[in-house]
Amino acid sequence: MENLSFEESIEKLEEIVNRLENGDVPLDDAIDEFKKAMDLVKICNDKLNDAEESIAKIVENNGELIDFNPE
Amino acid sequence: MENEIFTVSAINAHINKMLKRDPNLKNIRIKGEISNYRNYPSGHSYFTLKDEKSQIPAVFFKFNKQRFLEFEPENGMKVIVKGKIEVYETDGKYQLYVTKIEKDGIGDLFARFEQLKKDLDKEGLFEETHKKEIPKYPKRIGVVTAKTGAAIRDIITTIKRRYPISEILIFSTLVQGNQAAPQIVRQIRHAQEFDIDTLIVGRGGGSIEDLWPFNEEIVAREIYACEIPIISAVGHEIDFTIADLVADKRAATPTAAAELAVPNIREVKNNIGQLSNRINKSIENKIVENRTRLSHISQKNVLKNPESIYEIKGMQLDNLINKLDYSSKTIISQNRNKLFRIENSIVLKKPEEIIKAKKDRYMKNFNKLEILNPLLTLKRGYAMAKSGDKVISSAKDVEVGDEIDIEFDDGTVNTKVI
Repeated sequence: MENLSFEESIEKLEEIVNRLENGDVPLDDAIDEFKKAMDLVKICNDKLNDAEESIAKIVENNGELIDFNPE
Repeated sequence: MENEIFTVSAINAHINKMLKRDPNLKNIRIKGEISNYRNYPSGHSYFTLKDEKSQIPAVFFKFNKQRFLEFEPENGMKVIVKGKIEVYETDGKYQLYVTKIEKDGIGDLFARFEQLKKDLDKEGLFEETHKKEIPKYPKRIGVVTAKTGAAIRDIITTIKRRYPISEILIFSTLVQGNQAAPQIVRQIRHAQEFDIDTLIVGRGGGSIEDLWPFNEEIVAREIYACEIPIISAVGHEIDFTIADLVADKRAATPTAAAELAVPNIREVKNNIGQLSNRINKSIENKIVENRTRLSHISQKNVLKNPESIYEIKGMQLDNLINKLDYSSKTIISQNRNKLFRIENSIVLKKPEEIIKAKKDRYMKNFNKLEILNPLLTLKRGYAMAKSGDKVISSAKDVEVGDEIDIEFDDGTVNTKVI
Protein backbone atom coordinates (compact mmCIF):
# COMPACT_ATOMS: atom_id res chain seq x y z
CA MET A 1 0.00 0.00 0.00
CA GLU A 2 3.01 2.33 0.55
CA ASN A 3 3.61 2.24 -3.19
CA LEU A 4 0.32 3.97 -3.98
CA SER A 5 0.46 7.53 -5.20
CA PHE A 6 -1.18 10.18 -3.06
CA GLU A 7 -4.09 10.37 -5.47
CA GLU A 8 -4.57 6.60 -5.42
CA SER A 9 -4.34 6.53 -1.63
CA ILE A 10 -6.96 9.19 -1.07
CA GLU A 11 -9.25 7.67 -3.68
CA LYS A 12 -8.95 4.30 -2.02
CA LEU A 13 -9.68 5.93 1.32
CA GLU A 14 -12.82 7.60 -0.03
CA GLU A 15 -13.92 4.30 -1.49
CA ILE A 16 -13.58 2.51 1.86
CA VAL A 17 -15.43 5.27 3.70
CA ASN A 18 -18.30 5.08 1.27
CA ARG A 19 -18.42 1.32 1.48
CA LEU A 20 -18.42 1.33 5.28
CA GLU A 21 -21.05 4.04 5.45
CA ASN A 22 -23.32 2.02 3.24
CA GLY A 23 -23.50 -0.40 6.12
CA ASP A 24 -23.83 -3.78 4.45
CA VAL A 25 -20.31 -4.84 5.28
CA PRO A 26 -20.08 -7.72 7.78
CA LEU A 27 -18.34 -6.79 11.02
CA ASP A 28 -15.16 -8.80 10.42
CA ASP A 29 -14.70 -7.28 6.98
CA ALA A 30 -15.54 -3.85 8.36
CA ILE A 31 -12.79 -4.14 10.92
CA ASP A 32 -10.29 -5.19 8.24
CA GLU A 33 -11.38 -2.26 6.08
CA PHE A 34 -11.09 0.05 9.05
CA LYS A 35 -7.49 -0.99 9.69
CA LYS A 36 -6.69 -0.51 6.01
CA ALA A 37 -8.32 2.94 6.07
CA MET A 38 -6.34 4.01 9.11
CA ASP A 39 -3.13 2.97 7.35
CA LEU A 40 -4.20 5.00 4.33
CA VAL A 41 -4.93 8.06 6.49
CA LYS A 42 -1.43 7.79 7.90
CA ILE A 43 0.13 7.37 4.47
CA CYS A 44 -1.75 10.40 3.11
CA ASN A 45 -0.83 12.58 6.07
CA ASP A 46 2.80 11.50 5.87
CA LYS A 47 2.88 12.37 2.21
CA LEU A 48 1.37 15.79 2.87
CA ASN A 49 3.64 16.58 5.80
CA ASP A 50 6.94 15.08 4.77
CA ALA A 51 7.27 16.74 1.39
CA GLU A 52 9.65 19.63 1.26
CA GLU A 53 8.84 23.11 0.02
CA SER A 54 8.07 22.82 -3.68
CA ILE A 55 11.03 23.44 -5.88
CA ALA A 56 10.90 25.15 -9.24
CA LYS A 57 13.41 24.11 -11.85
CA ILE A 58 14.12 25.31 -15.33
CA VAL A 59 14.45 22.63 -17.96
CA GLU A 60 17.24 23.45 -20.39
CA ASN A 61 17.04 22.40 -24.01
CA ASN A 62 19.44 19.55 -23.32
CA GLY A 63 17.11 18.31 -20.56
CA GLU A 64 19.28 19.55 -17.71
CA LEU A 65 17.38 20.81 -14.64
CA ILE A 66 18.57 24.02 -13.01
CA ASP A 67 17.13 25.55 -9.85
CA PHE A 68 14.97 28.51 -10.68
CA ASN A 69 14.69 31.66 -8.64
CA PRO A 70 12.37 34.27 -10.09
CA GLU A 71 14.04 37.65 -9.85
CA MET B 1 15.78 79.83 -22.09
CA GLU B 2 19.10 78.12 -22.27
CA ASN B 3 19.89 78.25 -18.55
CA GLU B 4 16.36 77.87 -17.33
CA ILE B 5 15.52 74.83 -15.22
CA PHE B 6 12.06 73.31 -15.79
CA THR B 7 9.98 71.28 -13.48
CA VAL B 8 8.53 68.06 -14.99
CA SER B 9 5.04 69.53 -14.90
CA ALA B 10 6.22 72.69 -16.60
CA ILE B 11 7.93 70.85 -19.44
CA ASN B 12 4.93 68.60 -20.05
CA ALA B 13 2.69 71.67 -20.05
CA HIS B 14 5.05 73.36 -22.47
CA ILE B 15 5.08 70.44 -24.88
CA ASN B 16 1.32 70.23 -24.70
CA LYS B 17 1.03 73.88 -25.55
CA MET B 18 3.24 73.36 -28.58
CA LEU B 19 1.17 70.46 -29.83
CA LYS B 20 -2.05 72.36 -29.37
CA ARG B 21 -0.65 75.14 -31.50
CA ASP B 22 -0.47 72.83 -34.51
CA PRO B 23 -3.82 73.07 -36.33
CA ASN B 24 -3.15 69.76 -38.11
CA LEU B 25 -3.31 67.90 -34.83
CA LYS B 26 -6.53 69.58 -33.71
CA ASN B 27 -8.76 67.78 -36.08
CA ILE B 28 -7.21 64.81 -37.78
CA ARG B 29 -8.23 61.42 -39.13
CA ILE B 30 -6.01 58.39 -38.53
CA LYS B 31 -6.34 54.96 -40.08
CA GLY B 32 -5.34 51.90 -38.08
CA GLU B 33 -6.38 48.79 -36.22
CA ILE B 34 -8.00 48.75 -32.79
CA SER B 35 -6.14 46.80 -30.17
CA ASN B 36 -6.46 46.26 -26.45
CA TYR B 37 -9.87 47.95 -26.32
CA ARG B 38 -11.12 48.38 -22.73
CA ASN B 39 -14.31 49.85 -21.31
CA TYR B 40 -13.93 51.39 -17.88
CA PRO B 41 -16.62 51.82 -15.24
CA SER B 42 -16.33 55.56 -15.70
CA GLY B 43 -17.81 55.09 -19.15
CA HIS B 44 -14.60 56.07 -20.91
CA SER B 45 -12.85 53.64 -23.23
CA TYR B 46 -9.17 53.19 -23.88
CA PHE B 47 -7.45 51.44 -26.75
CA THR B 48 -4.38 51.39 -28.90
CA LEU B 49 -4.55 52.34 -32.55
CA LYS B 50 -1.86 50.61 -34.55
CA ASP B 51 -0.45 49.55 -37.85
CA GLU B 52 2.40 47.11 -38.64
CA LYS B 53 5.13 49.41 -37.36
CA SER B 54 3.73 51.75 -34.81
CA GLN B 55 1.03 52.46 -32.31
CA ILE B 56 -0.62 55.33 -30.48
CA PRO B 57 -2.69 55.24 -27.29
CA ALA B 58 -6.22 56.52 -27.63
CA VAL B 59 -8.95 57.56 -25.25
CA PHE B 60 -12.63 57.75 -26.12
CA PHE B 61 -14.54 59.79 -23.55
CA LYS B 62 -18.02 58.87 -22.49
CA PHE B 63 -19.38 62.19 -23.71
CA ASN B 64 -18.12 61.62 -27.27
CA LYS B 65 -19.05 57.93 -27.27
CA GLN B 66 -22.64 58.78 -26.45
CA ARG B 67 -22.82 61.29 -29.26
CA PHE B 68 -20.86 59.65 -32.04
CA LEU B 69 -20.44 55.95 -31.47
CA GLU B 70 -22.37 53.88 -33.99
CA PHE B 71 -21.02 50.41 -33.14
CA GLU B 72 -19.16 48.59 -30.39
CA PRO B 73 -15.47 48.69 -31.29
CA GLU B 74 -13.66 45.34 -31.19
CA ASN B 75 -10.05 44.38 -31.15
CA GLY B 76 -8.61 43.82 -34.59
CA MET B 77 -11.10 46.13 -36.30
CA LYS B 78 -9.69 48.34 -38.97
CA VAL B 79 -10.99 51.83 -38.34
CA ILE B 80 -10.63 55.47 -39.17
CA VAL B 81 -10.47 57.54 -36.01
CA LYS B 82 -11.26 61.22 -35.87
CA GLY B 83 -9.93 63.39 -33.06
CA LYS B 84 -7.10 65.52 -31.73
CA ILE B 85 -3.68 64.82 -30.32
CA GLU B 86 -2.60 66.26 -27.02
CA VAL B 87 -0.29 65.42 -24.14
CA TYR B 88 -1.65 63.66 -21.08
CA GLU B 89 0.51 65.67 -18.74
CA THR B 90 0.23 63.39 -15.70
CA ASP B 91 1.94 60.54 -17.53
CA GLY B 92 3.96 62.62 -19.93
CA LYS B 93 2.59 60.87 -22.95
CA TYR B 94 0.77 62.13 -25.97
CA GLN B 95 -2.41 60.44 -26.98
CA LEU B 96 -5.29 60.53 -29.37
CA TYR B 97 -8.51 62.04 -28.00
CA VAL B 98 -11.17 60.36 -30.08
CA THR B 99 -14.33 62.08 -31.18
CA LYS B 100 -15.50 59.56 -33.73
CA ILE B 101 -14.69 56.07 -34.99
CA GLU B 102 -15.59 54.77 -38.42
CA LYS B 103 -15.20 51.21 -39.68
CA ASP B 104 -12.56 50.56 -42.29
CA GLY B 105 -13.23 46.90 -43.04
CA ILE B 106 -12.55 44.11 -40.58
CA GLY B 107 -8.96 43.74 -39.48
CA ASP B 108 -6.85 41.06 -41.11
CA LEU B 109 -5.81 39.44 -37.84
CA PHE B 110 -9.35 39.28 -36.66
CA ALA B 111 -10.52 37.70 -39.90
CA ARG B 112 -7.73 35.14 -39.74
CA PHE B 113 -8.64 34.30 -36.16
CA GLU B 114 -12.30 33.78 -37.04
CA GLN B 115 -11.44 31.59 -40.00
CA LEU B 116 -9.03 29.38 -38.04
CA LYS B 117 -11.48 29.08 -35.18
CA LYS B 118 -14.19 27.94 -37.58
CA ASP B 119 -11.91 25.42 -39.31
CA LEU B 120 -10.55 23.85 -36.13
CA ASP B 121 -14.01 23.72 -34.60
CA LYS B 122 -15.27 21.83 -37.64
CA GLU B 123 -12.33 19.47 -37.37
CA GLY B 124 -13.28 18.70 -33.77
CA LEU B 125 -10.30 20.20 -31.93
CA PHE B 126 -12.54 21.90 -29.39
CA GLU B 127 -14.64 18.80 -28.60
CA GLU B 128 -15.50 18.39 -24.91
CA THR B 129 -15.08 14.63 -25.25
CA HIS B 130 -11.43 15.03 -26.16
CA LYS B 131 -10.64 17.06 -23.08
CA LYS B 132 -8.61 15.28 -20.44
CA GLU B 133 -9.29 15.52 -16.75
CA ILE B 134 -6.87 17.62 -14.71
CA PRO B 135 -5.29 15.44 -11.99
CA LYS B 136 -6.47 16.41 -8.53
CA TYR B 137 -3.20 15.90 -6.68
CA PRO B 138 -0.34 16.50 -9.11
CA LYS B 139 3.20 15.65 -8.06
CA ARG B 140 4.78 17.62 -10.85
CA ILE B 141 3.52 20.67 -12.74
CA GLY B 142 5.07 21.77 -16.01
CA VAL B 143 4.88 25.40 -17.13
CA VAL B 144 5.46 26.52 -20.69
CA THR B 145 5.92 30.30 -20.56
CA ALA B 146 8.58 32.98 -20.48
CA LYS B 147 11.05 32.57 -17.62
CA THR B 148 10.99 36.32 -17.12
CA GLY B 149 7.88 38.25 -16.32
CA ALA B 150 4.93 38.18 -14.00
CA ALA B 151 3.29 35.03 -15.33
CA ILE B 152 5.88 32.52 -14.10
CA ARG B 153 6.26 34.39 -10.79
CA ASP B 154 2.52 34.30 -10.19
CA ILE B 155 2.34 30.61 -11.01
CA ILE B 156 5.22 29.63 -8.72
CA THR B 157 3.96 31.80 -5.86
CA THR B 158 0.46 30.37 -6.13
CA ILE B 159 1.59 26.75 -6.26
CA LYS B 160 3.98 27.19 -3.32
CA ARG B 161 1.26 28.81 -1.29
CA ARG B 162 -1.47 26.29 -2.07
CA TYR B 163 0.27 23.00 -2.56
CA PRO B 164 3.93 23.14 -1.61
CA ILE B 165 4.43 19.42 -2.07
CA SER B 166 4.40 19.56 -5.84
CA GLU B 167 7.39 20.21 -8.02
CA ILE B 168 7.47 22.79 -10.82
CA LEU B 169 9.34 22.35 -14.09
CA ILE B 170 9.66 25.43 -16.27
CA PHE B 171 9.98 25.17 -20.05
CA SER B 172 10.92 28.65 -21.04
CA THR B 173 9.78 30.12 -24.33
CA LEU B 174 9.19 33.39 -26.06
CA VAL B 175 5.51 34.29 -25.76
CA GLN B 176 5.19 37.03 -28.36
CA GLY B 177 6.58 37.78 -31.78
CA ASN B 178 7.18 35.58 -34.78
CA GLN B 179 9.46 33.13 -33.01
CA ALA B 180 7.05 32.44 -30.19
CA ALA B 181 4.68 29.88 -31.75
CA PRO B 182 7.36 27.38 -32.92
CA GLN B 183 9.10 27.68 -29.53
CA ILE B 184 5.89 27.05 -27.64
CA VAL B 185 5.29 23.97 -29.79
CA ARG B 186 8.82 22.68 -29.14
CA GLN B 187 8.51 23.17 -25.39
CA ILE B 188 5.12 21.43 -25.15
CA ARG B 189 6.74 18.51 -26.93
CA HIS B 190 9.79 18.66 -24.65
CA ALA B 191 7.59 18.61 -21.54
CA GLN B 192 6.18 15.24 -22.54
CA GLU B 193 9.61 13.66 -22.02
CA PHE B 194 9.23 14.34 -18.30
CA ASP B 195 6.90 12.69 -15.86
CA ILE B 196 4.54 15.63 -15.60
CA ASP B 197 0.95 15.48 -14.30
CA THR B 198 -0.37 18.81 -15.55
CA LEU B 199 1.02 21.34 -17.99
CA ILE B 200 0.26 25.06 -17.83
CA VAL B 201 0.77 26.89 -21.12
CA GLY B 202 0.41 30.64 -21.23
CA ARG B 203 1.51 34.18 -20.62
CA GLY B 204 0.35 37.34 -18.90
CA GLY B 205 -2.10 39.78 -20.41
CA GLY B 206 -1.49 41.78 -23.54
CA SER B 207 -2.96 43.08 -26.73
CA ILE B 208 -4.40 40.78 -29.35
CA GLU B 209 -1.11 41.04 -31.25
CA ASP B 210 0.85 40.10 -28.16
CA LEU B 211 -1.35 37.07 -27.61
CA TRP B 212 -1.23 36.08 -31.26
CA PRO B 213 1.15 33.10 -30.90
CA PHE B 214 -1.62 31.47 -28.88
CA ASN B 215 -3.90 31.84 -31.87
CA GLU B 216 -1.52 30.06 -34.22
CA GLU B 217 -2.59 26.79 -35.75
CA ILE B 218 0.63 24.93 -34.90
CA VAL B 219 0.18 25.77 -31.22
CA ALA B 220 -3.44 24.65 -31.30
CA ARG B 221 -2.52 21.33 -32.90
CA GLU B 222 0.32 20.71 -30.44
CA ILE B 223 -1.98 21.34 -27.49
CA TYR B 224 -4.52 18.98 -29.00
CA ALA B 225 -1.91 16.25 -29.51
CA CYS B 226 -0.26 16.63 -26.11
CA GLU B 227 -0.73 13.64 -23.82
CA ILE B 228 -0.42 15.67 -20.63
CA PRO B 229 -3.57 17.54 -19.56
CA ILE B 230 -3.08 21.21 -20.41
CA ILE B 231 -4.42 24.30 -18.67
CA SER B 232 -4.21 27.37 -20.88
CA ALA B 233 -3.41 30.63 -19.15
CA VAL B 234 -3.42 33.44 -21.62
CA GLY B 235 -4.02 36.54 -19.57
CA HIS B 236 -6.93 38.02 -21.34
CA GLU B 237 -10.21 37.96 -19.57
CA ILE B 238 -12.50 39.08 -22.34
CA ASP B 239 -11.60 37.09 -25.43
CA PHE B 240 -10.68 33.47 -25.87
CA THR B 241 -7.58 32.56 -27.79
CA ILE B 242 -7.55 29.44 -29.95
CA ALA B 243 -5.23 27.86 -27.37
CA ASP B 244 -7.93 28.42 -24.72
CA LEU B 245 -10.45 26.60 -26.86
CA VAL B 246 -8.23 23.58 -27.50
CA ALA B 247 -6.80 23.26 -23.99
CA ASP B 248 -8.29 20.76 -21.56
CA LYS B 249 -9.06 23.64 -19.23
CA ARG B 250 -8.92 27.39 -19.58
CA ALA B 251 -7.84 29.90 -16.96
CA ALA B 252 -8.16 33.65 -17.39
CA THR B 253 -4.80 34.42 -15.77
CA PRO B 254 -1.61 32.54 -14.82
CA THR B 255 -2.61 32.74 -11.16
CA ALA B 256 -6.00 31.22 -11.94
CA ALA B 257 -4.26 28.47 -13.90
CA ALA B 258 -2.08 27.60 -10.90
CA GLU B 259 -5.18 27.51 -8.72
CA LEU B 260 -6.82 25.08 -11.12
CA ALA B 261 -3.69 22.96 -11.30
CA VAL B 262 -3.23 22.27 -7.59
CA PRO B 263 -5.59 21.85 -4.63
CA ASN B 264 -5.23 23.81 -1.44
CA ILE B 265 -3.21 21.63 0.90
CA ARG B 266 -5.18 22.83 3.91
CA GLU B 267 -8.41 21.65 2.31
CA VAL B 268 -6.80 18.34 1.43
CA LYS B 269 -5.72 17.88 5.05
CA ASN B 270 -9.19 18.80 6.26
CA ASN B 271 -10.68 16.36 3.82
CA ILE B 272 -8.45 13.56 5.10
CA GLY B 273 -9.38 14.51 8.66
CA GLN B 274 -13.03 14.30 7.75
CA LEU B 275 -12.58 10.97 6.02
CA SER B 276 -10.82 9.70 9.10
CA ASN B 277 -13.67 10.92 11.31
CA ARG B 278 -16.24 9.33 9.08
CA ILE B 279 -14.45 6.03 9.12
CA ASN B 280 -14.17 6.10 12.93
CA LYS B 281 -17.83 6.96 13.21
CA SER B 282 -18.95 4.23 10.89
CA ILE B 283 -16.87 1.54 12.58
CA GLU B 284 -18.18 2.77 15.93
CA ASN B 285 -21.73 2.53 14.62
CA LYS B 286 -21.00 -0.91 13.30
CA ILE B 287 -19.76 -2.09 16.68
CA VAL B 288 -22.64 -0.52 18.59
CA GLU B 289 -25.08 -2.02 16.15
CA ASN B 290 -23.58 -5.47 16.53
CA ARG B 291 -23.42 -5.15 20.32
CA THR B 292 -27.09 -4.21 20.43
CA ARG B 293 -27.91 -7.14 18.27
CA LEU B 294 -25.90 -9.45 20.51
CA SER B 295 -27.51 -8.23 23.70
CA HIS B 296 -30.90 -8.44 22.08
CA ILE B 297 -30.27 -12.06 21.18
CA SER B 298 -28.87 -12.94 24.60
CA GLN B 299 -31.98 -11.50 26.22
CA LYS B 300 -34.06 -14.20 24.60
CA ASN B 301 -35.45 -16.71 27.14
CA VAL B 302 -33.99 -19.70 25.38
CA LEU B 303 -30.49 -18.45 25.99
CA LYS B 304 -31.21 -17.17 29.46
CA ASN B 305 -32.86 -20.46 30.61
CA PRO B 306 -31.69 -23.19 28.32
CA GLU B 307 -33.62 -25.74 30.45
CA SER B 308 -36.81 -24.06 29.26
CA ILE B 309 -36.28 -25.85 25.97
CA TYR B 310 -36.57 -29.17 27.86
CA GLU B 311 -39.49 -27.94 29.92
CA ILE B 312 -41.48 -27.15 26.88
CA LYS B 313 -40.51 -30.34 25.15
CA GLY B 314 -41.25 -32.29 28.32
CA MET B 315 -44.68 -30.77 28.48
CA GLN B 316 -45.32 -31.60 24.91
CA LEU B 317 -44.21 -35.16 25.55
CA ASP B 318 -46.48 -35.48 28.58
CA ASN B 319 -49.32 -34.21 26.55
CA LEU B 320 -48.70 -36.74 23.83
CA ILE B 321 -48.44 -39.58 26.34
CA ASN B 322 -51.73 -38.50 27.89
CA LYS B 323 -53.41 -38.50 24.58
CA LEU B 324 -52.01 -41.87 23.66
CA ASP B 325 -53.00 -43.33 27.01
CA TYR B 326 -56.49 -41.93 26.80
CA SER B 327 -57.20 -43.13 23.32
CA SER B 328 -55.87 -46.62 23.93
CA LYS B 329 -57.99 -46.88 27.05
CA THR B 330 -61.01 -45.66 25.16
CA ILE B 331 -60.52 -48.18 22.41
CA ILE B 332 -60.12 -51.01 24.93
CA SER B 333 -63.20 -50.10 26.95
CA GLN B 334 -65.28 -49.57 23.83
CA ASN B 335 -64.35 -53.00 22.61
CA ARG B 336 -64.88 -54.52 26.01
CA ASN B 337 -68.42 -53.10 26.12
CA LYS B 338 -69.16 -54.46 22.71
CA LEU B 339 -67.88 -57.87 23.73
CA PHE B 340 -69.89 -57.76 26.92
CA ARG B 341 -73.02 -56.97 24.99
CA ILE B 342 -72.42 -59.78 22.57
CA GLU B 343 -71.66 -62.24 25.37
CA ASN B 344 -74.83 -61.26 27.15
CA SER B 345 -77.08 -61.47 24.13
CA ILE B 346 -79.94 -64.02 24.43
CA VAL B 347 -78.91 -65.75 21.27
CA LEU B 348 -75.80 -66.91 22.92
CA LYS B 349 -77.22 -67.37 26.39
CA LYS B 350 -80.49 -69.33 25.68
CA PRO B 351 -80.85 -70.28 22.01
CA GLU B 352 -83.81 -72.74 22.78
CA GLU B 353 -85.92 -69.87 24.02
CA ILE B 354 -85.57 -68.05 20.70
CA ILE B 355 -86.54 -71.22 18.82
CA LYS B 356 -89.57 -71.71 21.04
CA ALA B 357 -90.66 -68.11 20.66
CA LYS B 358 -90.35 -68.36 16.88
CA LYS B 359 -92.35 -71.67 16.90
CA ASP B 360 -95.14 -70.20 19.06
CA ARG B 361 -95.44 -67.27 16.73
CA TYR B 362 -95.64 -69.56 13.79
CA MET B 363 -98.38 -71.72 15.31
CA LYS B 364 -100.39 -68.69 16.23
CA ASN B 365 -100.31 -67.38 12.68
CA PHE B 366 -101.06 -70.82 11.33
CA ASN B 367 -104.23 -71.17 13.43
CA LYS B 368 -105.41 -67.77 12.33
CA LEU B 369 -105.07 -68.81 8.71
CA GLU B 370 -106.95 -72.08 9.45
CA ILE B 371 -109.98 -70.22 10.77
CA LEU B 372 -110.16 -68.01 7.72
CA ASN B 373 -109.95 -70.85 5.18
CA PRO B 374 -113.48 -71.08 3.47
CA LEU B 375 -112.87 -74.66 2.34
CA LEU B 376 -112.93 -75.77 5.93
CA THR B 377 -116.42 -74.27 6.26
CA LEU B 378 -117.62 -76.30 3.30
CA LYS B 379 -116.34 -79.40 5.04
CA ARG B 380 -118.70 -78.74 7.81
CA GLY B 381 -121.68 -79.00 5.38
CA TYR B 382 -122.02 -75.49 4.11
CA ALA B 383 -122.24 -74.78 0.34
CA MET B 384 -121.28 -71.71 -1.65
CA ALA B 385 -123.47 -70.29 -4.46
CA LYS B 386 -121.46 -68.81 -7.29
CA SER B 387 -122.27 -67.17 -10.57
CA GLY B 388 -119.19 -67.87 -12.64
CA ASP B 389 -116.34 -67.03 -10.40
CA LYS B 390 -118.38 -64.63 -8.31
CA VAL B 391 -119.71 -65.71 -4.91
CA ILE B 392 -123.42 -64.91 -4.53
CA SER B 393 -123.83 -63.51 -1.07
CA SER B 394 -127.43 -62.13 -1.37
CA ALA B 395 -130.75 -63.61 -2.64
CA LYS B 396 -131.30 -60.38 -4.45
CA ASP B 397 -128.37 -61.04 -6.65
CA VAL B 398 -130.20 -63.79 -8.57
CA GLU B 399 -133.21 -63.87 -10.79
CA VAL B 400 -135.47 -66.73 -11.66
CA GLY B 401 -134.02 -68.72 -14.48
CA ASP B 402 -130.38 -67.79 -13.67
CA GLU B 403 -128.04 -70.67 -13.88
CA ILE B 404 -125.80 -70.77 -10.84
CA ASP B 405 -123.19 -73.12 -9.45
CA ILE B 406 -123.41 -74.57 -5.98
CA GLU B 407 -120.05 -75.53 -4.72
CA PHE B 408 -119.73 -78.28 -2.12
CA ASP B 409 -116.76 -79.64 -0.33
CA ASP B 410 -116.43 -82.47 -2.74
CA GLY B 411 -117.78 -80.95 -5.98
CA THR B 412 -119.94 -78.45 -7.85
CA VAL B 413 -123.63 -78.76 -8.96
CA ASN B 414 -125.02 -76.62 -11.80
CA THR B 415 -128.66 -75.55 -11.06
CA LYS B 416 -131.33 -73.27 -12.31
CA VAL B 417 -133.30 -70.86 -10.08
CA ILE B 418 -137.07 -71.58 -10.21
